[in-house]
Amino acid sequence: MTTTDTNTSTNSSPRDRVTGTPFTRGLGVVILAGMTLLIILGIFVSPADVNQGESVRIMYAHVPGAWLAYLAFVVTGISSAAYLWKRTRSLTWDRIAGASAEVGVLFMGISLVTGSLWGRITWGTYWTWDARLTTTAFLFVTYIGYLAVRGLGGTHQQRARRSAVLALLAVLEIPLVHFSVQLWNTLHQEASVAGRGTDVEMDGLMLFTLFLGVAVFTLMYVWLLLHRQRSLALDDMLDDSGLDNALTARRAEAQGVAR
Amino acid sequence: MNQIGNDDEIGTSADSLDLSPRPVSARQRRKRRPWPAIIVLLLVVVSGGVVLTKFLTSAIDYYCNVNEIGTKSGCEPGRRLRIQGVVDEGSVKNDGVNTKFDISFGGETLPVTYDGEPGGIFKECIPVVVHGILTDGIFLGDRVEVKHSNEYEAENPDRVDDEASTAEGTACLQ
Repeated sequence: MTTTDTNTSTNSSPRDRVTGTPFTRGLGVVILAGMTLLIILGIFVSPADVNQGESVRIMYAHVPGAWLAYLAFVVTGISSAAYLWKRTRSLTWDRIAGASAEVGVLFMGISLVTGSLWGRITWGTYWTWDARLTTTAFLFVTYIGYLAVRGLGGTHQQRARRSAVLALLAVLEIPLVHFSVQLWNTLHQEASVAGRGTDVEMDGLMLFTLFLGVAVFTLMYVWLLLHRQRSLALDDMLDDSGLDNALTARRAEAQGVAR
Repeated sequence: MNQIGNDDEIGTSADSLDLSPRPVSARQRRKRRPWPAIIVLLLVVVSGGVVLTKFLTSAIDYYCNVNEIGTKSGCEPGRRLRIQGVVDEGSVKNDGVNTKFDISFGGETLPVTYDGEPGGIFKECIPVVVHGILTDGIFLGDRVEVKHSNEYEAENPDRVDDEASTAEGTACLQ
């Protein structure tokens, strides 16, 4: 019943108990530079759209947000499968899954907020229940539920098993969300880049800015995932040390009785 | 794993170890019942149900095209509809209270009266979805949503000439 886990119960010096490494620090610098370039290109350099005017600039946050949420939830699914597949039941996979879901919910939130604002400007409404928006809302709610299930308590292995099964079910929603604009009549437009058309109907500089946005958001995702995964490991370590302390106290007590 | 293993681990015999339940502190008890997670989970289930209902009642086939009125199931005139069509060139007229325009799709045209001024990027030659009821051949709308396309093109000052020529009466470029 003990929740002891080889990855977290090993004695490590305080120096190891930080979530940053030289790699993440370097990555952070690259992200800051990329974000600066994205803002310059997105707000000032890229052109306004012939129909949508300046509001098209919201796309450079909205679309990368949605794609990275997809990616994050797929990583959660893969890590969960890896956790269940490997006989070792490594909690590292479980923590990667949990961290990725948290970051995914964050990106999905960014996409929902920016999409809502973009909708107000172009469609004339913040929200409507068309198939894309409705399936996205369902995906968002599902992964908040996933995070709640992770917080239900029990041992670390219980948490990992429950959430891994849920993650494998939840990831099936992603194709439904992505293809909702093709399956049904929706107010939301079809995908410009990853749609069914072969030719991309987008101005070159707009497309470049969009891809830069995706690249910067991807690096941001990696950075957040690494840090969060490590801080979750520290959380588990804290739980385990609490258990160890309790066992030590109990042992001392028992020896007192024996004497 | 087994009793002997446990005894070894504890480092003493089972007789000397007091296994009776101890009083748990309030802090520990609170940890055992993860109320925040349970409350969030309940909210998730409720809102998931709402979203699912919306999906089944509203999201599947969000609109009917103009040429589908009366022909496609769910697009019967007389009930509340959402109609999609392209705003006809030169058809938009605003009398201060209502906005009147025609929308066309698939070779058929529908006159619309909307009680207000459409928001968003509403203009001629752009696809819109109008919510309302069809009465005596006129669609009385109470909500207009602009359905912009997935095509993005740079705004170009040279295009002013094009727009001027369009205003003279050439049809919307489809």
